[in-house]
Amino acid sequence: MLRRAVLQTFRQGLAQSFFKRNAVSLSETTVTHQPIETSNEADEKSVSKQKPGDESGNTVVVAPPEFRFMYPEFLPDPAMERRNRLKEKLERIDMLQRRSVVEIPEFYTGSVMAVTVADANSPNKFARFVGICIQRGGSGLRAWFILRNVVDKQGVEILYEMYCPLIQKIEVLRLERRLDESLLYLRDALPEYSTFPLDMEPERRLNNSVVPINPLKVKLRPRPWLERWERQNLQGVEDLNLPQRFYDKAEKVAKPWEKYDLMLQYRKTIPAEEQEKIFADVHSQLQQQEFKRKMRRRRGTDNEQ
Amino acid sequence: MIKARKIDVSFLNKESDFPMKPSGYMCVNSERKVWLIIRKRKRESKKNFWVVETCVLCTSVDQPCELFFNHEQVRTMSRVKRRTTHPPYWHVLKNNQRQDEKISSDNLRFVREVIQDKYKNKSPIKGSDLDIEKKEWDPKTKRSGVIARNIGVQHMWEKDGKKVVCTVLHVLDNHVIRYVPPEEYAKSIIGAKVFRNRKPLGCLVVGAEAANPDRFTRQYCSLFNEVGLLPKKRLARFIVTPNAVLPPCTPLTAGHFVVGQAVDVYGKTIDYGFQGVVKRWGFKGGPASHGATKFHRRGGTIGTGRDKARVWPGQKMPGHMGSERRFCRGLKIVRINMKYNVIYVKGTVPGPTNSIVQIFDTVLPRRKFTEAPPHPTYFPPEDGTLPQEDIWDSSLHVFGSPSISV
Repeated sequence: MLRRAVLQTFRQGLAQSFFKRNAVSLSETTVTHQPIETSNEADEKSVSKQKPGDESGNTVVVAPPEFRFMYPEFLPDPAMERRNRLKEKLERIDMLQRRSVVEIPEFYTGSVMAVTVADANSPNKFARFVGICIQRGGSGLRAWFILRNVVDKQGVEILYEMYCPLIQKIEVLRLERRLDESLLYLRDALPEYSTFPLDMEPERRLNNSVVPINPLKVKLRPRPWLERWERQNLQGVEDLNLPQRFYDKAEKVAKPWEKYDLMLQYRKTIPAEEQEKIFADVHSQLQQQEFKRKMRRRRGTDNEQ
Repeated sequence: MIKARKIDVSFLNKESDFPMKPSGYMCVNSERKVWLIIRKRKRESKKNFWVVETCVLCTSVDQPCELFFNHEQVRTMSRVKRRTTHPPYWHVLKNNQRQDEKISSDNLRFVREVIQDKYKNKSPIKGSDLDIEKKEWDPKTKRSGVIARNIGVQHMWEKDGKKVVCTVLHVLDNHVIRYVPPEEYAKSIIGAKVFRNRKPLGCLVVGAEAANPDRFTRQYCSLFNEVGLLPKKRLARFIVTPNAVLPPCTPLTAGHFVVGQAVDVYGKTIDYGFQGVVKRWGFKGGPASHGATKFHRRGGTIGTGRDKARVWPGQKMPGHMGSERRFCRGLKIVRINMKYNVIYVKGTVPGPTNSIVQIFDTVLPRRKFTEAPPHPTYFPPEDGTLPQEDIWDSSLHVFGSPSISV
């Protein structure tokens, strides 16, 4: 079911608007085979009839392609044995319900975040933790992310479930990306790379449309390490300076053919047609929620004035 | 051997209260599910008395007494066939063999029109003696069950922030096909076995998942001729008391159940295929290193060589694992979605995702209904409106409500 035409255009759109923010990019994506008009009422039925050359001119809602990176937890687990469309749909409804109460912002691994959680054992009944996101995963209501920080010379990592109702607030203090998808090597790096002040203020970005990539190369502590970092093609790490035998063994163990394995990639991902459908449905709801939040904020500032 | 514990069994009123089969029962004091061995023992005075074991937690509660742990291995009857790939001989042949019939597209369309005309909207058969009267509910009533599909597992949270794993069960398009009255059912092969020593109950045949009649044989489709429904892919029988009878063609939906009630779910467990002794029986195998030659996941010894001088029946060995009938008892319903006909049940259910299961009211005595449930089943209002689309249990945190603050 790989519709080459759709995949190609999808990828073109991706390449063009890789890190761009939503509203602007919609008009810029070159999805040439259908008219793109954002309608206020996202019609799911019209989206499902995405045929090349839509003659009737139905309003087809297409979410910006970078939604795949901004909201990866809306995509289900690709394992075919456990997939069920109805269950995924119901889970998405619940996720959007939760998002209407708590703002779960866009973040990536490498972003510095602060999470406030209801905690019976703290003095204020709320516990706030600041840290850098080193990994994120899970799909649906099980989506999680790990924050890391060094507190009193002790490295601390906390796994938060994004949709847990105990979470009061998630703030992104610094929105940026790193050169790797998973920053687990920070556990073996020098502590200054994982230390962030607990009273850090949210940083304002000059250019709102692009999420910057931090090209920082981290220095690791001398061996022994928790994992064999030389076997993992890490971009964000300085030269490991290991004896040649480590690199030789890494080459022996490496699987360079995997990057040519199309079916492996297909089985690990959700097909493009389904992704479009999912995000088209989600996009309209998220836009509505954003709008309501902005109105609330404006009303708040007006009241103050 | 540790000595036996004697318990006064006078709290049991009749002998029928006492289960005869060993193992797999619940503790008599609490309702913890433990391995119990209940055996009859004769003393020298030839006075029969029953020895009952309770779970370890309960034994310390009562008067100090001696404990008996039976180290005897319970050997199941390995000669009884647990699985077959074919249905029983009295079942009608179900699936049609695909024939390469070259039909023109016009004829195909005509066939489809005929099918649609034949199976238009059907209402429950009126005028029969099985009309729905307001039959009274009493605590001894057994209602019908429902056929559903296990569509996956979803995480939900309780009001104190505790995470709860819930299985999502999608109630398919169930319709009652037939009612078999108690006297007739007691004469059938299975009915005779079930009601050998007790008063017989009736049986409701329920079908789910309508399909194109082309894929089934004529004999199988004839089962549905009386009702006039599209033939169903799946049939199930539910034992009901005569006051919970439903007329044929009655639809069963998720509203048949009540949020907060306990249900039993029957399903066939995940099929693991031919499995070795470590995965199948939990053997420890052998050491991974330290010079072990070809002994890492094997069973080891299978007999003593002395008593009986043969391998005993029931010896645990590699073999087929899974695909067995199992019941998960007492699962609590935490949420019902009436719009999509979906039930969320706390806990997990036997079988893989997308497999068919049967749900019915629980058999556990302490979790049965105290008030009348929708009896004999739930009937939606005539104008098609739903009184409440999504019903949540009071202990669950609703996703649209504000975050929990402890």
